[in-house]
Amino acid sequence: MASSSTSSKNVNDGGPDTADRDEKKDDRTFECNICLDTARDAVVSMCGHLFCWPCLHQWLETRSSRQVCPVCKAAISKEKVVPLYGRGSTKQEDPREKVPPRPAGQRTEPENGSTFPGFGFGDTGFHMSFGIGAFPFGFFTSTFNFGDSRPGAAPHGTPQHLEEQYLSKLFLWLAVIFIFWLLLA
Amino acid sequence: MAQNVDPFHAQRPNNSKHSEEGRANTNDSHAVTKRLQKELMSLMMSQERGVSAFPEGDNLFRWIGTIVGPKETVYEMQKYKLCLQFPNSYPYTAPFVKFITSCFHPNIDNNGNICLDILKDKWSALYDVRTILLSIQSLLAEPNIDSPLNALAAELWSKPSEYKKHVLDTYKQ
Repeated sequence: MASSSTSSKNVNDGGPDTADRDEKKDDRTFECNICLDTARDAVVSMCGHLFCWPCLHQWLETRSSRQVCPVCKAAISKEKVVPLYGRGSTKQEDPREKVPPRPAGQRTEPENGSTFPGFGFGDTGFHMSFGIGAFPFGFFTSTFNFGDSRPGAAPHGTPQHLEEQYLSKLFLWLAVIFIFWLLLA
Repeated sequence: MAQNVDPFHAQRPNNSKHSEEGRANTNDSHAVTKRLQKELMSLMMSQERGVSAFPEGDNLFRWIGTIVGPKETVYEMQKYKLCLQFPNSYPYTAPFVKFITSCFHPNIDNNGNICLDILKDKWSALYDVRTILLSIQSLLAEPNIDSPLNALAAELWSKPSEYKKHVLDTYKQ
């Protein structure tokens, strides 16, 4: 913004004054809220206020019990400030300052959309259940068969009768085993 | 235990500590000076109505401020002088502010001490001379009756005519 207005200074008639004022205004936008100078090793709080890191660090040190933003009094902490990396601003650190280095920026990789939500293996929301509905009424339906028109049992001695006896025993045992399994499970 | 320690040895670490503190102080005071100069600049540029301040003599750490009594109050048309003393830890700690002109007010005692939260626990590094003086100006108009330094003033606040008489009497002193 400032650079564009200064470059057009010569073209603009009323130029120099307005351009200078613009520049000053822009400078003030990037002043630290504590030392009122252009922010050096700049950090921004989560509430969006700009400080020099040494200034903010000292403010937090003097108020270690109640750490609030000097501007809006929102709760802030050293861990939750974002450093500002301007162009060529990394070499401005003064080693004589006895403040811990500015916290690093936090960078997360962008997510690629190949995973479906909810289908992860770590997902704990998966439940599985088996149920047998109307269990006791099954007895009634098999015991009291009124008025059904099934064919009668085969006469004694025939191979069909033996087969039916055998099948009936087999299913009885299966049923007993199944009920035991149900009780134990 | 301290009696058995050789004074020479005991003092040496203290000395080095002092010199370190001294260096820190000069660093600090440089930063404080810079900030106070900036404040003075912006205060002179802003031409704020009703409040003004300027360093007393060559000492940038001691300012004399002036507040004009807020309009439509008993303090209207009165000019109050204040003294602002800046510590080396400024702006991390509040300056010490005191009325020089005697002022009849529930939150100002006879010696000129002011009871104002932003000068005590509510202080923020963002506040400067301008905002302090403006806050004190609005304190004149809206006293905090619940925690008075001047009990008589708090009592009389509800009786404007008597209150005004006291204000004018005190102001003339």
